[in-house]
Amino acid sequence: MTGTLLALTTHGDPLYAHGVGWFVWVVVLIKVLVAFAVLLVSVMLMIWFERKVISDMQSRIGPNRAGPWGLLQTLADGTKLFFKEDLLPERSDRFVFKLAPYLSLVPALLIFTVVPVGGIVTIAGHPFELQVADPPIGILVVLAMSAVAVYGVMLAGWSSGSKYPLLGSVRASAQMISYEAALGIVVVTVVLVTGSLSTRAMVESQSAAFWDWNVIRLGIVPFLLFLTAITAELTRPPFDLTEAESELVGGFHTEYSSIRFALFFLAEFMNVITMSAVVVTLFFGGPDGPVPHLPTFDVWFPTVWFLGKVLVFLFIYVWFRAALPRLRYDQLMTLGWKYLIPFSLVWLLGVAGFLVDGWWGLGVIVVGAACAGLLVRAFAIGRGRADQHGSMTALGARLSRPTLVTGSPLAPPIPPAPPSPPARPVTTRPVSGTEGEG
Amino acid sequence: MDQYLPIFLLLVLGGLFAGLSFVGSSLLAPRRKPTGPKVAPYECGIIPDKEPPQRFPVRFYLVAMIFIIFDIEVIFLYPWAVVFRQLRVFGIVEVLVFAAVVFVAFLYLVSNGALQWGPGRRLQPGVSARTSESTVSRITAEPPAPDQAA
Repeated sequence: MTGTLLALTTHGDPLYAHGVGWFVWVVVLIKVLVAFAVLLVSVMLMIWFERKVISDMQSRIGPNRAGPWGLLQTLADGTKLFFKEDLLPERSDRFVFKLAPYLSLVPALLIFTVVPVGGIVTIAGHPFELQVADPPIGILVVLAMSAVAVYGVMLAGWSSGSKYPLLGSVRASAQMISYEAALGIVVVTVVLVTGSLSTRAMVESQSAAFWDWNVIRLGIVPFLLFLTAITAELTRPPFDLTEAESELVGGFHTEYSSIRFALFFLAEFMNVITMSAVVVTLFFGGPDGPVPHLPTFDVWFPTVWFLGKVLVFLFIYVWFRAALPRLRYDQLMTLGWKYLIPFSLVWLLGVAGFLVDGWWGLGVIVVGAACAGLLVRAFAIGRGRADQHGSMTALGARLSRPTLVTGSPLAPPIPPAPPSPPARPVTTRPVSGTEGEG
Repeated sequence: MDQYLPIFLLLVLGGLFAGLSFVGSSLLAPRRKPTGPKVAPYECGIIPDKEPPQRFPVRFYLVAMIFIIFDIEVIFLYPWAVVFRQLRVFGIVEVLVFAAVVFVAFLYLVSNGALQWGPGRRLQPGVSARTSESTVSRITAEPPAPDQAA
C-alpha cells in the first residue's frame, strides 16, 4: 500500500516543491493566461478549419472573405453576435437560463488544464511542467467536468420554456450519461496499466517507445470504444441527435441568442479540442515522440508532436461529420448500452487478467465469451417481450398504454360523420370545459 | 492543494470572461424592448398553444437509473485499478465477483426489454389486405353499423 501512496504523491508539478512564492504565482498566472488565450484562438481556428474542410469535401469554397482564406470569419461572426439583441424568452426560468452558459463554458475550459502539452522546462532554476495543472487525480477531473457539462445542456433546454429545446436537452442528457459509463470503463483500462490517475504518469508510462502507446499496448479496441464514446459525449455527428436540425429546430440552444449562444458554441468546440487532446494523452503517448536533438528546440519538440497528433483527431471529427449519416435514437441507445458497455467491461477484465497471468487472461476471455452468449440470449428475450407487451413489462409499465397498431392490419372503418351542427359563433373557451353548454 | 491552484484560477478567469461578455453584449446590443413574438417560444412560426410537455417517456428516467448502477460500478473500479498491481490475484477475483453481480442485474434489465427503444409494437406488414376493392368499396358502401366501427 505504501508503494501506491508513494506513486500518487511523487507525481505532480515540481513547481510547487518549495512552497508558493511570488515566482510560482507568476508562472501559474502565465500558464493560465496562455492556456486561456490558446484555447480561444484554437476554437476560432477550429471552426474555420471545420467549415473549410467540410466545404472542400462537398466541393464548395467555404468562407473566403474575412481575412486571408477566410481565417477571420469566426472572429467576424463572434463580433457580430455581440451586437445582437439578447432575448430572454417570456416563459423561461430567468436565473437558470442565464446560468446555463456558464455551466457549459467553465467545464470546457477546465478539462484542458490536466492535459500534458510538453516536457519539463527550467526557468531561472525553477523546473516546471508544460501542463496547466497536474493534480494526482488528473483523469478524474476530466470525467467530473464532462459530467458537469451535462448540467449546462440539461438546464439550458429545461429553462427555455419551449418544446424543442426541452426535447433536445432530454435527449442530450440521456445520451451523454449513456456513453459516460462506457467512457469511464475504458478510462479504467488505461488507469489499470498506468497504476495512477495522474495524466502525466499516463504519458510517462507510454514514453519508452511508440509500441508502448496504449493504443497498441491495450489492443486497438479500447481506443476505438473511447473514440466512439467521446464522439457521442461531445454530441458530434454522427451522434448529434441533440441538435438534429431536421427534427428539433436547433436543440437545447434554440431560444438562446446573442452572446449566450456564442458561449454555447465556444464551449462545444472547446470540448472537441480538449477531448482530442485527452485521446492523445490516454492512447497516443501525449507529447511523446522522436526528438531530433537540435539545440534550443529540444524543449519544444514534444509540444509540436502533441499538436500534430491533436490535429489528426480534429480532422477525424470533421471527417465524421462530413461522411457519416446521423443515427436514429434507438440505434444510438442500442449502440451505447448493448455493445459499448459490455464490450468495454469484458476488455477491461481481460486486460486485468493478462496483467496477472496469461492463464487468468485466457480464463477471463472464455468466461467473457460465455457471458456474451447469455447477453445475446437476453437481448432476444427482451426484444420479444417488448414486441409482445410494449417496453418494460416487468418494470412498472404494465399499465395499459396506447400502442401504435391494433391487432388487425386493416385500419378500422371510418365512422360516418355526424350531421354537422348548426354554425355557432367561435368561442375561445378552453376545450377542457366539457360541461353542458346548452 | 497547491497543484489545484491553476484550476481555480482558470475557473475564476472563465467565469469572468463569460460575465464580461454579457456586460459587453448588454452595452453593444440594441436596447429596444423586444416585441411579443420575439420572446415567445420559437416553433418555426407556429404560435404555441400548448404548454411544453411536463411528462416524458418513462424510458428516459429508466436510463438515468440504470446509469447510476453502472456509474457506481465505474467509481468503484477506479481505486481498484490504481492498486491492482499490488492486489494481483486477489484483485482479479474480487473484481470478477463484483462484475458478475452487476452483470446479473444487467441481464435482468435487458431481458425485460428495459433498453428496447423501438416502437412498442412493430408495424405489421398488412398492406396486402388493403386491396383496391376493399378501400374503394368502403367509400361507396353504406356506413357500417356503429358496433362494428369500434
